[in-house]
Amino acid sequence: MTSRNAVGELVSQPYKYGFVTEIETEKIAKGLNEDVIRLISSKKQEPEFLLNFRLRAFRKWLQMKEPNWAELGYPSIDYQDIVYYAAPKQNQKKSSLDEVDPKLLETFDKLGIPLGEQKRLANVAVDAVFDSVSIATTYKEKLAEDGVVFCSISEAVSEYPELIEKYLGTVVPPGDNFFAALNSAVFSDGSFVYIPKGVECPMELSSYFRINSGDTGQFERTLIIAEEYSSVSYLEGCTAPMFDTNTLHAAVVELVALDEASIKYSTVQNWYSGDEKGVGGIYNFVTKRGLCKGINSKISWSQVETGSAITWKYPSCILQGEGSVGEFYSVALTNHFQKADTGTKMVHVAPNTRSTIVSKGISAGKSSNSYRGLVQMGPKASGARNYSQCDSMLIGDLAAANTYPYIRSQQPAASIEHEASTCRISEDQLFYLQSRGIGFEEAVSMMVSGFCREVFNQLPMEFAAEADKLLSLKLEGSVG
Amino acid sequence: MRLNSKNWLTSLPQPSGTLSEVQLRGREFLFSNDLPPKNNESWRLADYEKLNRFLDLPVSNDSFLDSESRNLWPEVASGAFRVVLGPAGECNSEVSLPVGFRRLTNPEIEQMLGKTLDSCSCKDSWSVSLNHALTSELLAFSVSGRNLPPMELISHAKTNELCPTRVLIVLEENAELELLQVVLGSDFSAHSHLVEIHIGQEANLTHGLIGIGNNNSGFMANLAIEQELRSNYLFTSFIQGMAFGRVEPRLVQRDGQANTTIRGLQIAKGSEQLATHSSICFKGPNGTLDQLQKAIANDSSHSIFNGTIDVPRVAQGTNAEQLSRNLLLSSRARIDAKPELKIVADDVRCAHGATVSQLQQEEVFYLRSRGITSNQAAKLLLDGYCQEILEKLPSNAKNWIISDECKLII
Repeated sequence: MTSRNAVGELVSQPYKYGFVTEIETEKIAKGLNEDVIRLISSKKQEPEFLLNFRLRAFRKWLQMKEPNWAELGYPSIDYQDIVYYAAPKQNQKKSSLDEVDPKLLETFDKLGIPLGEQKRLANVAVDAVFDSVSIATTYKEKLAEDGVVFCSISEAVSEYPELIEKYLGTVVPPGDNFFAALNSAVFSDGSFVYIPKGVECPMELSSYFRINSGDTGQFERTLIIAEEYSSVSYLEGCTAPMFDTNTLHAAVVELVALDEASIKYSTVQNWYSGDEKGVGGIYNFVTKRGLCKGINSKISWSQVETGSAITWKYPSCILQGEGSVGEFYSVALTNHFQKADTGTKMVHVAPNTRSTIVSKGISAGKSSNSYRGLVQMGPKASGARNYSQCDSMLIGDLAAANTYPYIRSQQPAASIEHEASTCRISEDQLFYLQSRGIGFEEAVSMMVSGFCREVFNQLPMEFAAEADKLLSLKLEGSVG
Repeated sequence: MRLNSKNWLTSLPQPSGTLSEVQLRGREFLFSNDLPPKNNESWRLADYEKLNRFLDLPVSNDSFLDSESRNLWPEVASGAFRVVLGPAGECNSEVSLPVGFRRLTNPEIEQMLGKTLDSCSCKDSWSVSLNHALTSELLAFSVSGRNLPPMELISHAKTNELCPTRVLIVLEENAELELLQVVLGSDFSAHSHLVEIHIGQEANLTHGLIGIGNNNSGFMANLAIEQELRSNYLFTSFIQGMAFGRVEPRLVQRDGQANTTIRGLQIAKGSEQLATHSSICFKGPNGTLDQLQKAIANDSSHSIFNGTIDVPRVAQGTNAEQLSRNLLLSSRARIDAKPELKIVADDVRCAHGATVSQLQQEEVFYLRSRGITSNQAAKLLLDGYCQEILEKLPSNAKNWIISDECKLII
């Protein structure tokens, strides 16, 4: 007989990234209006087209209503009570790491992302973002040898304005949705990646987002462009300190893949999720979308979502190039009072496009975990195929698992298959493992890890091990 | 807002009879909600233009259904009996019901009416309110015992009229019934149908609903079903030929431990829009559900399926399966499917699946390799596809389905 409490306890590991870095920060006053946007833009010395882009988005945002269709039930957000720009005090982006405030380097050390030359991760280039600005980007020079551009988006605005002007907002238009419009108006920093024609990016690219201030919203924006016959793998990680207030995070990620290009985008999201009573935590509203613009291009999203009090996130693929491929692999774990409404959209526009969706949801405690996805076959998508699989695992009888797949087809020669199942950790399997001398907790985490295997297999190797560990830590205390 | 909707409401016949209070309530609701809310998920895809067209038809009050129409109906199956619904029907007349069937008395009606709607939480749904506003006659009866004659409930909407019907059925403990409902729609007619069924402990109900329209027919059916312990319910629906067709089965297993089987087929062609919005809720443990919904969309038609399964915390041990299979036969047609699962209990087995495609090329090839032409092969495959659902209809349904119907859609 397994005790529910034991499984329950397995999920509740204290959040180890909850510390705050004491550092002098430059913040602008709370509130949002056109002047604030002009101020952000002038602080970042942006060209006029970008200011106009921001203002256009802001004006659209003013006319929009906050969406309420997702079953997230969070209290209303006062958008005038948020600081829209915060940066650690330093004069300019430093030319070398030696000039960066050691406290910041220490922070990233503590997070397991050493930026210093000797300690930095081998073969992974990192762009570290602290509150609203990018602190450092490693291996920039080495990447430049292959023509790969990897830098913060602010740097890209000043150095490659023509690329920014050409691509920014083409996949997620400024008025796409409420949170995307807000992000377009006030985005502060993020990463920019450009892979030139025919280049296979020599190392993994990674960005690490850290929220430090309690009253500051984080609005990062990432833009990745893969030219013809190029490929790149990009990882994203995030953490935040523990505050008992909620912090807003509204990000936009845009990917563009041209002919025969491939982009793999992996996320391990571990924002602070609030305490066991549901106090505090990040409100995570993210718009991620990839455009498979060229023929035979490929965009693959993989995500492990374990943090945030509220998650609202639907990484999508627009399959516009003939024969293009979209993939979505997701593990979402919710515990305590966390609420996640996440999924994907696969919009098949061109013929012979293919998409695969594998989503695994694990809900424990009193949390609610929803998969919401759209598969759409346009009138021209002949020969297109989709396969979706959504599995949910429930731990405890107070957690909720919901599935809302939207399926729409306008093309007879396209085929869609969707399947979903819900189960719990089977007592038979637990008994089997325990009878072979495997401890209870280990058995549970083996089963959870087996449940998520299909998704973990898609993650870059370093991340897969980390995700597995993260999941078993998060699960500590909830299984029983 | 719909043109003349207020005029239309005030032009309705004065409320009268057992349903007069309900009628007033429904009209009040429609007065402030003249059309269903577009931001409501279940109405998001509805074709309002078509809906409007039917709503402007005058409500039928003619109590005469010409014998010519009746003559076109197939014979009553041997051993079965037939009741005609609607203003032209026999709801309130003194037509006697066979042994085992008993008309409910007014106090009983007062006690039971709307109760199942409440438990299925669809009392305030727009289409239910529309039926409330329109219907003045009610067929209410209880059923007890087994080996009863199969029952046929027929309603026929004539050209240029909107025909509202409402039925309340109480299956007593251990009762067993085979019920076939047939809804016929002439050109430019509309039908609003509401049925409440309470299925007592260990009772069995086999329920078929056939909706056959003719060009510009409109049809909205709301079914509210409540199942008690160890009861069995098999519901099979078949909808065809309706320019605007909408079936909303809502079912609650009150204390769980009941079995529900749902089979549905909708065949859409021309510019028809056919929709099924099902909702099943388990309010007790160990219930089962086996649901299979099929749809065929041809020409520039639109087929919608929206199916919710709700498994709250009390419903441990639930075993529910839902499958939506759709055939899209034309590049101008459109299919929307949304199977939904909402689960809180942890010891459950729930699965759903959905597929959208055309006929499998391998299957067509197999048949062709045996000397069957591609047209014949397609017909054979479509027949087989439909047959899986149609064979679940009550036995006396055969006479109502034009056997070669599938030819029309190829």
